[in-house]
Amino acid sequence: MPRPSPGRVHHAHRARRVVGLALVLLVPFASACQSTSEPSAAPERLSRSDSRASLAFHPESTKVGIHRVHGRLPVARRKAVRTQVGAVVDRWWEAAYLGGSYPRSSFPSAFPGFTDAAEDRARADKALLTNQVAGPRIDSVTARKRAVTLDILAAGRQARAVTAQFVLTFDTTGSRAGTTTVRGRLFLTRKRGVWRVFGYDVAKGAR
Amino acid sequence: MGRTMRLARTVALVAVLAVTAFVVPTSAVQQTEVSLVRIRHAQGVATGGEDVVWILGVGSDARPGQVMTRARGDALQLVGINTRTGAATAIGVPRDSWVAIPGHGREKINSALYFAGPRGMAGAMRNLVGIEPDYVVVTRFPFFEDMVDDIGGITVTNPRRFTDPNLKKEGFARGRIRLGGYDAMAFSRIRYNLPGGDFDRSANQQRTLRGIHARIRAQADVPGFIERGVMTVMAHTDTNASPGELFEIAQAVAQVDPRRITTCVVRGRIGFVGAASVVFPDVAQARRLGREARQDATLRGC
Repeated sequence: MPRPSPGRVHHAHRARRVVGLALVLLVPFASACQSTSEPSAAPERLSRSDSRASLAFHPESTKVGIHRVHGRLPVARRKAVRTQVGAVVDRWWEAAYLGGSYPRSSFPSAFPGFTDAAEDRARADKALLTNQVAGPRIDSVTARKRAVTLDILAAGRQARAVTAQFVLTFDTTGSRAGTTTVRGRLFLTRKRGVWRVFGYDVAKGAR
Repeated sequence: MGRTMRLARTVALVAVLAVTAFVVPTSAVQQTEVSLVRIRHAQGVATGGEDVVWILGVGSDARPGQVMTRARGDALQLVGINTRTGAATAIGVPRDSWVAIPGHGREKINSALYFAGPRGMAGAMRNLVGIEPDYVVVTRFPFFEDMVDDIGGITVTNPRRFTDPNLKKEGFARGRIRLGGYDAMAFSRIRYNLPGGDFDRSANQQRTLRGIHARIRAQADVPGFIERGVMTVMAHTDTNASPGELFEIAQAVAQVDPRRITTCVVRGRIGFVGAASVVFPDVAQARRLGREARQDATLRGC
């Protein structure tokens, strides 16, 4: 069997390194999935006669990836966790930032998927956990980036808890035009088959 | 040589690209790229039920081969965490405290674990302090060492230098000191030449808890840190908390404000029951501590 020349070996190593680098760069995208909880792609008319009416259309879909599973969890269940937790995060984003009719100052049901106790806490932090403060001066909201990365705690081959690191970036129009980024972590546990948010650590900034 | 040149060229290229990305303005109208971004922050954890979660931490002196929950409980700390305010408290109880153990009469509190398991220990603590813990977490010293090592060691503030001929000949220096797993165990176990004996040892255990908390808080936002910690706790402890509940507790611990931690060790006087040296705890003080902290996990005094 002919041995490859040193030059070819070097070339092959380099090629492997390039492929490896490409894979490393691609893995986050490959492991991301699109949450199934996205609202229908059809634009939704939110205001009937207001001259500032806007269409809530959020073409940017949420990418949900897994950083690491701690414990054993079959692949099918990993996918289910990704889908289910992605849906919970999406529902909060839609209710708190992206959906609804702008301008508005009321966010009465901004925390779907939160436990009752967590919702109680979150209401006290509505300035950050919703668009309530800027809402009256916003005409429309368009999502620019929606990314969620999960750390899953598994025991007995079942997912028990999740930390969802997230980044949501959206553009606003109106007198409060700009770009807002909300990033942080949501803490979820699964009880009676349903994922609920019991805690959060969230930062919000705008420019 | 060729490889070195290629590497140098690659580094130079990356540097140029990086500088370019920051320095060269984009074409068309240059928008404001640098702006003052006001970032605000909020955090909260709700473990369900009451605002305050009570956890009894027990260090079992089980030897290798012994069942951890049927040995003596030598380190006893009743920890309360207020998930609403971020306050936390630890009430330490000397292991030789002479107390009523449910169904077993009066004994040293450390034997409650041997006679009646974690539930019995919880009952003995309730009889003394007046607070029934929601969870009991029992670990043994080697496991405790592993856990401290797993979180990368801790830093404690030691009020006095002390030594022990068996556990730490060179002793622990006064001041801020860094402890790995073994040292954290020794720091928490030694009572030899501590002026306050068992009471000072219990206070040292609380310093260790503060060190552990600081470490958890500092790394809580590292992806996977809390999950790894919970896995370690599950592997190294016996507890009535489910994995999900442990996760909730860990997140609550991470959100405790170190400025709002208050601690106290139940006082007592040394005496004898037969030939056994015991501590007769100041029950009135213990109950007062329990009353003060029950609702909000905050002690007003010690």
